[in-house]
Amino acid sequence: MSGKVMGLLKRIHTRLRLNSIQNVITLSFTSVMLLAMLIVSISLYHLFSDSAERNAVTSTQQIIDQVSLNLNSYVAEMMEISDIIRSSLTSDNFDKDELSDILNVTAKIRKDIVTMVVYSQKGDVIISNPIGVYNKNFEVTTQDWFIELLNNPANYIFLSPHVQRFFENSHPWVVSLCRGVTYYENEEPIVLVTMVDMNFSTIEQMCNNVSLGKRGYIYIIDEYGNMVYHPQQQMIYAGLKTENAIDALTREPGSYFDDHTGEKRIMTVKDVGHSGWKIVGISYVDELVANRKYFNGFILLITLFAIAFEILASFFISAKISRPIKLLETQMKRLETGDFDISVEVKGEGEVKQLSKAFNIMVARIKMLMEQIITEQEEKRKSELKALQAQINPHFLYNTLDSIIWMNENENYEGVSVMVAALARLFRISLSRGNEIISIGDELEHVKSYLTIQKVRYGDKFDYSIDVDSTLLSRKTLKLILQPIIENAIHHGVSPLNEKGIIKISVSSESDKILFQVSDNGYGITPEILSELLVQESTSYHGSGSSGVGLKNVNERIKLCYGEEYGLEILSEVDVGTTVNIRIPYNGL
Amino acid sequence: MRLIKNISCITALLILITFISGCLGNSIMKSEDQIHIEVIVKNRIAPFWTVVEMGAIAAGREFGVNIHFDGPTDEKDIEEQINMVQRAIDLKADAIVLAACDSEELVDIAHEALSKKIPVITIDSGINSQKVKSFIGTDNVGAGEKLGQALVNKVGDSCKIVVMSFVKGAASCDQREEGLFKTLDMYEDIQIVDIIYCNSDVDTAENLTVEIIEKYSDIDAIVGLNAYGTTGAAKAIIEQNKVGTIKIIGFDSTPEEVRYLERDIIQSLVVQNPFSMGYLGVKYAFEAIKNEKIPNIVDTGSTVIDKDSMFYIENQKLVFPFTDGLSDPTVIP
Repeated sequence: MSGKVMGLLKRIHTRLRLNSIQNVITLSFTSVMLLAMLIVSISLYHLFSDSAERNAVTSTQQIIDQVSLNLNSYVAEMMEISDIIRSSLTSDNFDKDELSDILNVTAKIRKDIVTMVVYSQKGDVIISNPIGVYNKNFEVTTQDWFIELLNNPANYIFLSPHVQRFFENSHPWVVSLCRGVTYYENEEPIVLVTMVDMNFSTIEQMCNNVSLGKRGYIYIIDEYGNMVYHPQQQMIYAGLKTENAIDALTREPGSYFDDHTGEKRIMTVKDVGHSGWKIVGISYVDELVANRKYFNGFILLITLFAIAFEILASFFISAKISRPIKLLETQMKRLETGDFDISVEVKGEGEVKQLSKAFNIMVARIKMLMEQIITEQEEKRKSELKALQAQINPHFLYNTLDSIIWMNENENYEGVSVMVAALARLFRISLSRGNEIISIGDELEHVKSYLTIQKVRYGDKFDYSIDVDSTLLSRKTLKLILQPIIENAIHHGVSPLNEKGIIKISVSSESDKILFQVSDNGYGITPEILSELLVQESTSYHGSGSSGVGLKNVNERIKLCYGEEYGLEILSEVDVGTTVNIRIPYNGL
Repeated sequence: MRLIKNISCITALLILITFISGCLGNSIMKSEDQIHIEVIVKNRIAPFWTVVEMGAIAAGREFGVNIHFDGPTDEKDIEEQINMVQRAIDLKADAIVLAACDSEELVDIAHEALSKKIPVITIDSGINSQKVKSFIGTDNVGAGEKLGQALVNKVGDSCKIVVMSFVKGAASCDQREEGLFKTLDMYEDIQIVDIIYCNSDVDTAENLTVEIIEKYSDIDAIVGLNAYGTTGAAKAIIEQNKVGTIKIIGFDSTPEEVRYLERDIIQSLVVQNPFSMGYLGVKYAFEAIKNEKIPNIVDTGSTVIDKDSMFYIENQKLVFPFTDGLSDPTVIP
């Protein structure tokens, strides 16, 4: 199962080429950008939310301050009016007509005053403005505030908005300010109570006209937490809406978060001087959120566009980077199939340019080497063929057969059989079933056969010795490398000598090489000729008896087969002799 | 080849993103300002409905929706109300809040609205339909029971009464009667002399009351089941000089009724909460538009008031609603 899954994943991987440079660049670039965009968006969002919230709180506070200021001045004006009435009463004998005038003027100036009343201690109306049919059902003496003022006349008492019951048939909503006044008649203190009723709709309008967002509103509570004003007072009395008035009551002026309705709201509390009221402004956080939603959408939009743009950009950038690499890749594929006639157009970024250049150089080198190998192989074949041809040189064969015939005529039959056997061995080893590599033992056998034949030809003109480290006999060597050297030694070294020539052959190991050494005591070779020996084509200047294959051939064959560090070394001193060193690897094929 | 494929993929992606963001942008731009709720009541100008309008406007303000308030000038003009609902449908209102003049006649047009995917919320007076599920208003049976209890409190458990009902067959009428009789059944000595129907007309109620007073001179009280009946009865009592002799237990709190209550002509009133009806009607209509689940029946409650308790701070708002800054429609004498 897991194997299947792995296989599938691998297929997808291969199909999508997720590891291709282009995709790696695109993916990593995209993810990095995505992360960056996310961080930027989130921090932007928070920044905006915070500032939006702060702004909302500040503006709510400013609005509440304004309302509070208005209410304060409203209350202060009420108190002023109350004081005017009071001051006209405190004079020892007050004139009812004068007071009536004052009330009339005040009522004319202040349209928001509904009623001004002066009550006697017993609750009778001494004077009122306007004058009307008093509500008989309304007993002012039973009211708490009236009793309170009789005891402490100097106090101001605010009555929360209520329905006025002063007149029959008239029930306006009013806010009342009541205060007692004491004056003395015949040394007797008499307490009067003044009441100023102001139209509540003014306060209502003050609160209603402010806008705390679309849904925000203001409500007012008195010092006991009773609702003085609420835009949906009916709902509150009906229990369909609740307000966290007690919480607001305990709060110091300021802004707080409130979620008692389950919705996050900002509650701003502010005191109204004198009256003991508190204004509470409610604004809804989700209206900010609506703004925030808009902002979110905006950010999202920008982010999406940025991501789209970024994907596109990274795609093109990665394509630009990877295109030369891909080109290189396809060219390499072609190379794999053996097509060397390719050259990458060198362009792209710095590294890729270098890579392309190196690739081109490499291809050129490979191509050159390939050609070299081909020519070398050809040469190898050619020189081998030459070496082989040398073995069946007709001249040599003729001379040898001539020697055999001559021996036969002299009835030297033993000599004949030796010669024939040697000749047969010579050719057997030369051919050696087409193998190029033979053992050192065979190579020496081949040389011995050759020397046997040549010794018969040349009589006692020379002697030879073979000195071999027997452990090396089984080592391998390129065939037919000693014979041409020895042929040279016989022809140019020992045969022109008047005394007996000596050819020494030795095989020894020299560190990781095997050293064949062929030395003669001939005339030696002059340095001029020596320097040309390995360069010159076949040294067949002496015609007869020469195999026609020179030292150069041997040298080249060794180098082709084993490498440049192997081959021939010719040391010669005129009148002393010549030594040819042949080196092949110890572990040669 | 691969390049072309990739480019086409990316182009498709881009188009998709543009499309999504376009949709997103649209949904952001579409604010709730465009929501339009039609409130159609029985009577555009009566004080009771003015307070319903106040509630509706308060809710409209709170939820940020446009409110259009309408209704015939005569509660019996069913045809006009049907036309108004038709107009609301034609104007593609997002929801209709309806106080039906007739529980049968408005069923078809309400169904038409529903078939056009316009939610219909009924307030005060519902319609006989299984499809219109939401009703917001006074529990009339409960209000009837309270009416009976107020009678017992003010007149006593042994009396002769006449019930001034309004339209036989109207749902609210039947339910109030049901509640009233439920309470009165517990008192053996309360005798219901007659039930009369004023057809929601003050003059009719007044004339009927005069007739009743002549017919049954020994009755102790008249129980009014709506504002018209109560007002008419009060007028007749004043006219016939029977104030105090024949007591009135009534329904609703028009300024006129309140004046009679204060002058002891009416002894007790069962007051509804029209503000809540308007407010909740719009609130639930708004929620219905947003496909939120809304309750089937919402009782806005009723309160018994008398001369004294009407000035209790918690009752003042019910009895003396603010109306557009004009604190009271009554004039200072």
